[in-house]
Amino acid sequence: MKNIINQPDIYFEIGASTLLAVRATDSAEWPLERSPDGRLTAASKAALTAQLKHFLSPKPWQPRVRALCAINARGVSVRQLSLPIGAKEEFHDRLLLQIESEFPLSPDELAWGYQTLGRSPSGTLAKQDLLVAAVKKEIVADYQEMFAAGHATPIFTLASLARNCLCPQPDGSHALLDIGEQQSELTVFANGVPVSSRIIFWALGANPDPLAQTLKSSLTGTTIFISGKNIPDDFAGQLTRRLGLNWNCERLAASPDKKSSAAILGLKRLAGTNGEPPLLIRVNSGQSAGSPTTPDTKQWVMRAVILIAALLVLPYLEAILLKAHLAKTVAQYQTEAVRLKMVDRELDFLRYLKQNQPPYLNAMYVFAQSVSPGTKFDSITMNSHGDVSLRASFGGGQQVTDFRSKLIDSGTFTNVIVEEQSPGRHGPQVDVRMTAHWKAGAPWPIVKPPPAEADKNAVTKPALPTAPTVRKEMN
Amino acid sequence: MSERDQRILRYGSIAVAIYLILFFGRQFLEKQRTDYRKLVTQAQDLREQNQPYADRIALVKKMMDDYNLDPAKLRKASVVAEASAAIQNSARTGGVGLGPIRESATSGTSKQVATIQIEGSGSVASVLGFMSNLDRIGFPLVIDSAQITAGNNQPGQIKVALTIVILDFDQWKGTPHA
Repeated sequence: MKNIINQPDIYFEIGASTLLAVRATDSAEWPLERSPDGRLTAASKAALTAQLKHFLSPKPWQPRVRALCAINARGVSVRQLSLPIGAKEEFHDRLLLQIESEFPLSPDELAWGYQTLGRSPSGTLAKQDLLVAAVKKEIVADYQEMFAAGHATPIFTLASLARNCLCPQPDGSHALLDIGEQQSELTVFANGVPVSSRIIFWALGANPDPLAQTLKSSLTGTTIFISGKNIPDDFAGQLTRRLGLNWNCERLAASPDKKSSAAILGLKRLAGTNGEPPLLIRVNSGQSAGSPTTPDTKQWVMRAVILIAALLVLPYLEAILLKAHLAKTVAQYQTEAVRLKMVDRELDFLRYLKQNQPPYLNAMYVFAQSVSPGTKFDSITMNSHGDVSLRASFGGGQQVTDFRSKLIDSGTFTNVIVEEQSPGRHGPQVDVRMTAHWKAGAPWPIVKPPPAEADKNAVTKPALPTAPTVRKEMN
Repeated sequence: MSERDQRILRYGSIAVAIYLILFFGRQFLEKQRTDYRKLVTQAQDLREQNQPYADRIALVKKMMDDYNLDPAKLRKASVVAEASAAIQNSARTGGVGLGPIRESATSGTSKQVATIQIEGSGSVASVLGFMSNLDRIGFPLVIDSAQITAGNNQPGQIKVALTIVILDFDQWKGTPHA
């Protein structure tokens, strides 16, 4: 997750004729075309910008990647300055004055940086020792533009300082000779501080004698650490023999492979140890106190502020934007609620209607099921309160008893009373007047209505009552 | 006034303006938000209140289909005349010969709008079919009493006297869950 948001550093070595880039296991090397003043040509700059964009593959949502760049010694001036210790506020101004006096160009025309070395007493006035490196501003500005276009934040330092980290004793006094394909770079260190740096136009494969002569004229006997690609194993020995006594040439232990260089290995070591190199060359001297990642930090802070503001404002915005819509919805619900109250009333009304429908047909069905054949009903009177009275002629007294028993056994009638039972005029017939009361909520059998008069044509023999579907009525 | 004083005055004015905007703006926004929250609560309450009505609506629809009756369409002024006409029409089509018909209005506070007494005669099937169909002719009718007697001369013929009550839906309009 951390790697998705914060990408790993990318390392660059800006040489005289090539630009070497290393990112994790990937590497690339592009040629550089320079004009006589040392700046990149417009065509080379454009091509390099496109290649860098492709190599860096920037993602807009990711912060700018950090590009640690090692600049070779060509065009770079290194000075050791001593500044009187004073107020911190005046330090920058004094440093600018010193740079103006020590370097051929004014600080505004230079990309420069410094490294604090320590304090040295000089008489009664304590002084601050500084190592200042400067290069023409336009040269570094070109590189900065290219990296900015590739969504990277460049951090420039000296390649010789990076290489010095690979020495067995970086704080010692020695010289570093980096041999290139067209030219070599010689840097002399005193107590770990570069005191001089120069370009030697000697390429690998040429006769080592001119190189030895140049070294003898530049240095007194010392240890020289040699770096560079494709150097023969016995090259250090050959050079030592040509230089003579008091000279010791050694190859840097951490020799680079084909995809890297001594400067890039040194940058990696610096980044791993301190986070960033001790001497940073900046295009704008005003940003000396700031961190190179400040623009990104500002951007993220701005995003965070926007998010917090959105968090605070959104509830209010929601209220303003959705209030009208919600009011409409509430109005709809209210209209619906009024309509639903009507549904309540209709339901109550229909339930009342259903519960108050007297079961006349059911009662008559029970009568029909309970009487014996030959029984004749003279009249049946029923009302919605459940009172039933009937007058009928039965075939005998036993039939009356059976009829009453069946009515009671049906579970639907109660208080079955024979009010009057008298012998009939014809034989064993008895005329009966009875009253009964049907039970509220009795389990009446469901009676299908007989076919209407209009449907008689379709029915040959009307059946009364029809076959019931017996079930408990659910009220 | 020096340039520094002018700058201080300018920044001060801006700060005061921002404070005033935030103060009054916040009050306005808070009011909007409070109103919005009330609306949200109201909407939720109404939605919860209306949600159980799906079952009731289905039940009402089924009962309306069973009774062939839409209570909302009943008009108190004309329901008696329409119901009487429908009863007579149902009797005629059902093969029931009609006798005297008497209509009487009931008091305004009861749940009935009128009572109809009707006499008729016909075959057993016709009379029972007529009685069965009364609750499906599109009016809220309840047979309050029924008297069935044997026909005088013709075998299989019966006479019927019904007291039919017409319910008044207006009595339910004012009092839900009556």
